[in-house]
Amino acid sequence: MMQLIAGQLINGIIVGSLYGIIALAVSLTSGITGVVNFALGAFMLVGAYLTWHLNETYSVAFPFAVILVMGAVALIGLVADVLLFRHTRNNLINGLIVSIGLVSVIVALVHMTWTSTPQNMQPFVAGVFTVGGVIVPKMKLLMGGVLVSIVGLTYLGLTRTWMGRAAYAYAQNPEAAALMGVATGRLQVGVAAFGAALCGLAGSMYATLYSLTPDIGALYMLKGVEGALLAGIGSVIGALFGGMLIGVAEGLGSVFLPLAFNDAYGLLMLVLVLLFRPAGLFGGR
Amino acid sequence: MRVLLLVLCGAVALVPALTANNVVLSVLTFTFILGILAVSFNLIYGITGQLTLFHAAAFGVGAYATHLSMAHWSISFWLGTAFALGCVAVVSLLLGIVCFRFRLKEFYFAVVTLAFAEMIRLGVMNWHSLTNGSLGINFSLKPSVWLPGAGALVIEGPVRWYYFSLACVVVVVLAYQLVVNSWIGNAFKAIRLNEDVAASLGLNAFRYKLLSFVLGSMGASFAGGLYSHYMGFVDPHLLDINQSLAILSMALIGGTGSVAAPVVGALVVTALPHLIDLNAEWRLLIYGLILILTILLMPQGIVGSLRRLRKHA
Repeated sequence: MMQLIAGQLINGIIVGSLYGIIALAVSLTSGITGVVNFALGAFMLVGAYLTWHLNETYSVAFPFAVILVMGAVALIGLVADVLLFRHTRNNLINGLIVSIGLVSVIVALVHMTWTSTPQNMQPFVAGVFTVGGVIVPKMKLLMGGVLVSIVGLTYLGLTRTWMGRAAYAYAQNPEAAALMGVATGRLQVGVAAFGAALCGLAGSMYATLYSLTPDIGALYMLKGVEGALLAGIGSVIGALFGGMLIGVAEGLGSVFLPLAFNDAYGLLMLVLVLLFRPAGLFGGR
Repeated sequence: MRVLLLVLCGAVALVPALTANNVVLSVLTFTFILGILAVSFNLIYGITGQLTLFHAAAFGVGAYATHLSMAHWSISFWLGTAFALGCVAVVSLLLGIVCFRFRLKEFYFAVVTLAFAEMIRLGVMNWHSLTNGSLGINFSLKPSVWLPGAGALVIEGPVRWYYFSLACVVVVVLAYQLVVNSWIGNAFKAIRLNEDVAASLGLNAFRYKLLSFVLGSMGASFAGGLYSHYMGFVDPHLLDINQSLAILSMALIGGTGSVAAPVVGALVVTALPHLIDLNAEWRLLIYGLILILTILLMPQGIVGSLRRLRKHA
């Protein structure tokens, strides 16, 4: 029993880091552009399929595939922002609808290109670690490590560089930031592209572990939004913890309760946090 | 404008006489039923300004409650509808009290209502003994109405369903219009325009938001009962997030400014995929493009844009 719980705990943290990276993308883009972009889940979907496609058809090595995919998805995010989301800045409802429209378009294109047959990719590193009876696939550990370090780097980038501080300033007071010489238009486009790249990375990691179907984006997007709101919009490390909290709750919940309730834990925590601490667990005030 | 409206009404009433095409009739029947759904959503969103994503859940719960009460207690469609309206009223009342007591607004209200809708969907999916899980329930029960002269008339076949759903949507639109034109509607609009000012002038915003939420959700419940009996089955897809988003897009495409405009949006969303004979992927693609283009090019919806054109002309 203890082994089972420990195993689910570790599994939950690692799967949660996948939720966390999407939560970070949600948090950053909605903090800077004022729109919760549901298309981020679709960007993850594209990232996952592109990684599989590059690896399978052109036998591009996984690390290079990841870099290529992040670049490609960032480009998609940039184009989407310039063409669509530039017109819905700070208009939550319109941005939401446009992003839902974009999700439909992307999912339809993925269906047409890669069909709905589930696809599987070879894991980049095979084999498992066994520690005290708890079995963890090496690939999962690698994924957790990569995602946590990316979140760490993002945090450093936001707090230690000029551009990052500009982003914080913009989130606090857009007009004052513009007066201080922040190129706000470019900042928004840049953050949108960066958020998309994070989702592309999440997709790449997902592709090595689970099967690909065109409907994975929506589920991960929902968990990402839950994680971001649990933590509070704008909290970088918090977004990761928010995602991990959901992952762990799901892992531990599956030990004691039927699997069917898995999706309810995140929702329940979200409702409680929004009712009693609307700024989020890690948000100020 | 009046003349145009009359001509339109006449044309709508005569459609079954003009065409024997069942696809046209079924598209219009869906338009009327989903129109009820979109109109009731718009009472909460367009008129009162509260973005609810609980609407699909109200729709689905209404569908299940209508059918299950009819099947288990062998009661008529109308008693089943009354039972479903009661169920949805109680659920939405409780949810509304929680949300509005905690002063959830805008995005946070949307997220919390969405979360509750998802939890209800999970409940419906997993309560196998009652709902048969994700497989849903097929049934052949039909509503019947009493008409003077004709006696009890069972609603079956495309033509009867067409007139029945048309009558339902007209009644629902008129009922909501009556509410919106009264002092209650003025309170709803005041809350949308500026809740703080409305409250400072002595308006009990909590009570009116709750009223709007419950009245709107009950409309969704009625639409659910109609929809499931027209289709002949219920399944948990009715409660999907995507359903809520489809409702939102119907309202936005039609226009959120008036009570009846969302029916036009329901027509666009249901008819367009049928107008062009395409496979599922292309339909999804076109649906997405319609959403994007409507928001970017016609933010006031079709009806709102037409009105503006008339003003400028």
